[in-house]
Amino acid sequence: MKRSTLAEFLGPIVALVIIVGVVAVTTPNFLATANFQNIALQAAVLSIVAIGSTVVILTGGIDLSPGSMIALITMALAAMIKLDGWGLMLAIPAALAIGGALGAVNGFLVAYLRIPAFIVTLAGLSALKGIALTIGGGTPIVSLSPNLETLFYGQVLGIPLPFIYVLVLYALAVFTLNHTKFGREIYAIGGNEAAARLSGIKVKRVRLLAFVIAGVCAGIGGVLLAARLNSGSPNYGTLIELQAIAAAVVGGASLAGGRGHVFNTLIGVLIITVVQNGLNLNAVSPAVQSIAIGLIILLAVTLDLWRGHLSRILRAQFTRTPALATPAKGL
Amino acid sequence: MTVHAQRAVPLWSLQDICKGFPGVQANNHIDIDLPAGEIHGLLGENGCGKSTLIKILSGVQQPDSGRILHNGREVTFDGPGAARREGIATVYQEFSLIPHLTVAENISMGRHPRRRGGLMVDWRAVTAEAQRILGQLGLEIDPAARVTDLSVAEQQLVEIAKALSQDATLLILDEPTTALGQEEIVALHRLLRRMKESGVGILYISHRLDEVVELVDSFTVLKDGRVVSAAGQTRLDVDEIVTRMIGSDISEHFPKEDNTRDEVVLTVRGARTAHRVADVSFDLRRGEVLGLGGVIGSGRTEIARAVFGADRLLAGEVTLDGRRLRLRGPADAIAAGIALVPENRKTEGLFFNFAAGPNITMAHLRGVTRGPLFDHRREDRVCVDYIDDLAITPSARTKLVNLISGGNQQKVLIARWLFSDSRIVILDEPTQGIDVGAKLAVYRLINDLTRAGKSVILISSAHNELIAMSDRIAIVKHGRVTDIRPAHEVSPTDLVSATEAAHHDIAAVAAVQKSEVLS
Ligand SMILES: Nc1ncnc2c1ncn2[C@@H]1O[C@H](COP(=O)(O)OP(=O)(O)OP(=O)(O)O)[C@@H](O)[C@H]1O
Ligand SMILES: [Mg+2]
Repeated sequence: MKRSTLAEFLGPIVALVIIVGVVAVTTPNFLATANFQNIALQAAVLSIVAIGSTVVILTGGIDLSPGSMIALITMALAAMIKLDGWGLMLAIPAALAIGGALGAVNGFLVAYLRIPAFIVTLAGLSALKGIALTIGGGTPIVSLSPNLETLFYGQVLGIPLPFIYVLVLYALAVFTLNHTKFGREIYAIGGNEAAARLSGIKVKRVRLLAFVIAGVCAGIGGVLLAARLNSGSPNYGTLIELQAIAAAVVGGASLAGGRGHVFNTLIGVLIITVVQNGLNLNAVSPAVQSIAIGLIILLAVTLDLWRGHLSRILRAQFTRTPALATPAKGL
Repeated sequence: MTVHAQRAVPLWSLQDICKGFPGVQANNHIDIDLPAGEIHGLLGENGCGKSTLIKILSGVQQPDSGRILHNGREVTFDGPGAARREGIATVYQEFSLIPHLTVAENISMGRHPRRRGGLMVDWRAVTAEAQRILGQLGLEIDPAARVTDLSVAEQQLVEIAKALSQDATLLILDEPTTALGQEEIVALHRLLRRMKESGVGILYISHRLDEVVELVDSFTVLKDGRVVSAAGQTRLDVDEIVTRMIGSDISEHFPKEDNTRDEVVLTVRGARTAHRVADVSFDLRRGEVLGLGGVIGSGRTEIARAVFGADRLLAGEVTLDGRRLRLRGPADAIAAGIALVPENRKTEGLFFNFAAGPNITMAHLRGVTRGPLFDHRREDRVCVDYIDDLAITPSARTKLVNLISGGNQQKVLIARWLFSDSRIVILDEPTQGIDVGAKLAVYRLINDLTRAGKSVILISSAHNELIAMSDRIAIVKHGRVTDIRPAHEVSPTDLVSATEAAHHDIAAVAAVQKSEVLS
């Protein structure tokens, strides 16, 4: 998309600031440095998975499979390390490749066989979980390798490694989506697929690649989760796909495709994580937390739908001569 | 109420309507009276506020100030439903049909006949109603066909049928004929005159001025959101309207240049596709404009799509400079230097999630990238250049394209294919919905292209335009080229009578489509 105006970023950021403020006031331990680190670490895996979800959503698709993909990948990684005795230098790239390959399968079915993304990835959600359960008899594989743990708990110059992964990957994603031909093609397909084809864009290939990106992101997320818990389990990653989609939507991406910003997805991840963290610290039950996340999604989408309307009301209130008002976009 | 009272008070009346959008005052103190039994023309350049005004009158948008009077009584519309209940039926410039529903379902949308105490839709009545309306219009469109399967022209006709079926007291038509051929236009006019005689008021918008002069009883010209001229019951004259619209004196003429050279650049031999193209052969010379003439449904658009690689060739070949092209998709055609400005800008042309810049560069991203990297500044410069060249509204630079007027959208689409710098430019109804000034700009562009040694394939349902701007015209009938002649030897009646059976075509197409669906 064309370089974005400040206004488009302001909405989610303002929302994040308000939420942080509310949680800080109501929750005693929230402002502790250790808690902030905790939030950031919690958010790391989700935010990486959400990059892939956002890319797919921008093309007008949806990906429900990352949660099960992560389960499968942590199990595969654990099996390679623990059962087959592979070194990390081999096992980690293999795990990422599995993610990419599974994404390619999704993408192939969606783009070339024209099966709706919702169906393909819903099938993936179920089938991949099943495959994860067949590895190592379906029981978690623990105590993988101390070196693997370092990947998550290590620091460079005092900065925890997961921060660095997230920053680098988001920088890469923002750059790709806003400053490369491929990024433009992603937005174009989400905006109008028929027009994209008639403009010479190889729609199928771009769609396939979007799912490969989502698969690789799930792969990275899986490796990090395995590193964090030093284990693999068929239960890891459960429901992360919904949180990732929620983060994109809370960040303003349109499920119809073509509109949204990957940076705002990161803000969306933080909003969701801060709310969860606040509820955790206040010892609110997981059931209520789920309800809270659901409400946030509804609120974000409603606000988005109303944004144009609200801005019109505000303008009518504050400008005497609409003819002289400058063009405003977004908020 | 007596007939006499109705004559004194206009049926519908707009008073002092104002409507602003960020950066533009689209309607500025507009007054219009719409008496019963009269056809009123609403004219003006692209972006002057015509569609905005009819959206206000149809309840789609609310005015900032001003009043709408029905028989002298003030009414306010909080939505399109309210306007419809008050007796207003509208054919919108941008189609409002639901693509995956059938023709019949679309026609009775929002007011399906009910049965069993209103619980269930009476589908048989829905179909019968659609059949009656289509019959009145003399159309042989199958009420059970899905709207996506229809051509643009047929969709436009269904859109009109939908409005006609509402038994309105005021019928509003916003550029209803952009996709129609001469015959359909004549049929539509006949019907509108009949409705007017039965006392319906009609508000009619069109950029085809010859058509307007022919039809309307009175008119209003808008410029920059204001009424600059209103005339009733006088004899109208195209030149005069144009002068009032643009504020200067240019007549609607065709500045044709002959730039044809001998060398043949593109040859099509025995082309056949699954979509109407039966057997098509022609040559295109360097610097030549080859017009494709024929009625709606004859297969002109589909020929364009075949040459552009959008529909796969089942037989035959396309050669460019003696080299046979392997067309697996539009990307191959574009790489070979072929461009297509499609007929349906909304579904096949524009990206409504972008402003003008990305819309213009989309078919030639290499022109604004360095390696894999985007040069946003260069893209902006390209955008500004075309805004200047084609007199596109300057707000197109920042506004998403769905917020600029229909004519400006069309110009953005043309700009895309000018920027692609192709050698063969196919223009499918390039002047639909654009004002006289912009039409002239398109004609000049055609001259610029041919002068630079590029070749043009022109499809247009405006016969005078097609004949004047083409060097040769290929007559297309049932997916075949039946005759190719120098344009000056072709008369408008040739284009109609050469292919008299428009409705048979439509019926045949519907039949083919049905068999495709079944197979
Ligand atoms: N929803 C909107 N938001 C912002 N600007 C708008 C919106 N709708 C229309 N405009 C602006 O209002 C002006 C009038 O537009 P309108 O569509 O009424 O023109 P028009 O006379 O119908 O033109 P055309 O002949 O090209 O269809 C244009 O400058 C357009 O960009
Ligand atoms: Mg308009």
